[in-house]
Amino acid sequence: MLLEVEHLDVFYGKAQAVHSAAIGVKPGEMAFLVGRNGAGKTTIMRAISGFTRAGADSRIHFNGVDIANHRPEEIARSGLRYVFQDKRVITKLTVRENIHLAAYPFHVSPKAAVAKICDIYPRIEKFLNIKAGGLSGGQRQLLLIGRALIGNPKLLLIDEPTEGLAAGIIEDVFKVLSQLKGDVSMLIVEQNLDLVRRLADRIYAMKEGRIMMELDNSADSRSGSNLEQFL
Amino acid sequence: MISVIAYGLTLGGILYIISIGFSFTFGTMKIVNYAHALIFTIGGYILYATLPRIGFYPAAVLAATLGVIPIAFIIERFVIRNLYGESVDLTIIATYAVFLIGLDVLKWIWGSNPLQMSDPINKTFTFLGTELPVYRMAVIVIALALAILIEIFLQRSMAGKIVIAGLEDKETVRGLGISVQRYFTMVFIIGSALAALGGVLYAPITVVEPYMGFQILMLSFAVVIVGGLGNWRGTFVAAFFLGMVMSVTGRWWGPASEVAVFAILAVSLLIHPIDI
Ligand SMILES: Nc1ncnc2c1ncn2[C@@H]1O[C@H](COP(=O)(O)OP(=O)(O)O)[C@@H](O)[C@H]1O
Ligand SMILES: [Mg+2]
Repeated sequence: MLLEVEHLDVFYGKAQAVHSAAIGVKPGEMAFLVGRNGAGKTTIMRAISGFTRAGADSRIHFNGVDIANHRPEEIARSGLRYVFQDKRVITKLTVRENIHLAAYPFHVSPKAAVAKICDIYPRIEKFLNIKAGGLSGGQRQLLLIGRALIGNPKLLLIDEPTEGLAAGIIEDVFKVLSQLKGDVSMLIVEQNLDLVRRLADRIYAMKEGRIMMELDNSADSRSGSNLEQFL
Repeated sequence: MISVIAYGLTLGGILYIISIGFSFTFGTMKIVNYAHALIFTIGGYILYATLPRIGFYPAAVLAATLGVIPIAFIIERFVIRNLYGESVDLTIIATYAVFLIGLDVLKWIWGSNPLQMSDPINKTFTFLGTELPVYRMAVIVIALALAILIEIFLQRSMAGKIVIAGLEDKETVRGLGISVQRYFTMVFIIGSALAALGGVLYAPITVVEPYMGFQILMLSFAVVIVGGLGNWRGTFVAAFFLGMVMSVTGRWWGPASEVAVFAILAVSLLIHPIDI
């Protein structure tokens, strides 16, 4: 297992948002996390990546190392990158500067970082010198995914990458993600079940803070037809 | 009229130099730092104490500006750093305590009496028939030079870009693997040194006394809010605008100058309520 989460509890004050969740992602796998709004998907992603405190008994192992409640910048540097929900680019910096920022902690040359993102998503080249705030939703998402790949992470956590995007753009985003499949492991929060069934190696379905179902998509061959109940 | 404008620009320059650090601490860390007023006051006192010994005004200015760095470092390490993510009220209470403690130390060393300083340049020049002190013009030039340096630092250096990004979205920056806190600490130290510089530059215009920082902090607070939280260019514009307002209203009726500033602050809060 590349990522192994067990007994993950998360509390917001007294309210418990995640109850003893268990999640695993194997090397090279594309795993999905589905569930309704408010189910606790983002909370799980944030707890894994260090942005939200995990309860004391939680066990989060990444690449064989216990990362529970480590600082998010350390977790990011260790090769686990979280792409936030809501497409959070730095709007006041240019697209190029957004990329340079990501290159900096990994000692990647700024030029090489820009070239890498242009390679993954060639159309970004035209927008390198505009403020990232001027990008459309799809462009932002692809910038964010490209940016997260700088420094060659082993695992990407991506939170609702297609939320609010038009159908054609969703395809673009997933074309990029399927090209990455195998090279980098992914855990993706996604509401679009057709996409999930098409691409998933593994699916976790959540409800009210609990993981209710785990499907190995190759073995349970498309049997995830009852996933709808979780949306 | 020319002298009113010149005084307004001088005040604006000093307000800018003091407010810029306050603005960044507020914008990056969401901390209302009352200790900033203490640093400002200490700057004034260090100048007062070192000038007769050093004898050369620019060297004394440098001594006072750099002299506060260890103090700022200690305040950051033991107070500010424990306030990250705390409520704004708690940051006010904690840093206000630092301010009061520091105030007592200052009173213990130098007493409470206002200490008068002379104009360090003590020359005037005539502009359109009005006689203006060279010193006040120098203050304006220093403020403008600083604004340009800060702009260059933010736009050209990687550290500056990290600060800009951190002002907008600290989590995103951390998620990229950058220890953004280190940059905020650096900004805090530089901002504190600038507060001291503000105190140093202001001292010859007024008097050095323990409470000199208090009134200035209120004005600085107004500058930061009117300029917009996390908006360093807004801080610049607001500082000169409010400096001018103070100079013009003060010309007609002295006590009105601060009232005018807080009236503008109130209007600005009505237009853009802040949520912290
Ligand atoms: N910062 C927060 N403080 C308090 N409650 C929160 C916070 N963030 C999320 N919650 C609550 O936790 C639950 C799970 O939220 P979230 O993880 O965002 O769900 P999802 O991503 O599945 O839509 C919701 O009930 C939400 O209201
Ligand atoms: Mg969510």
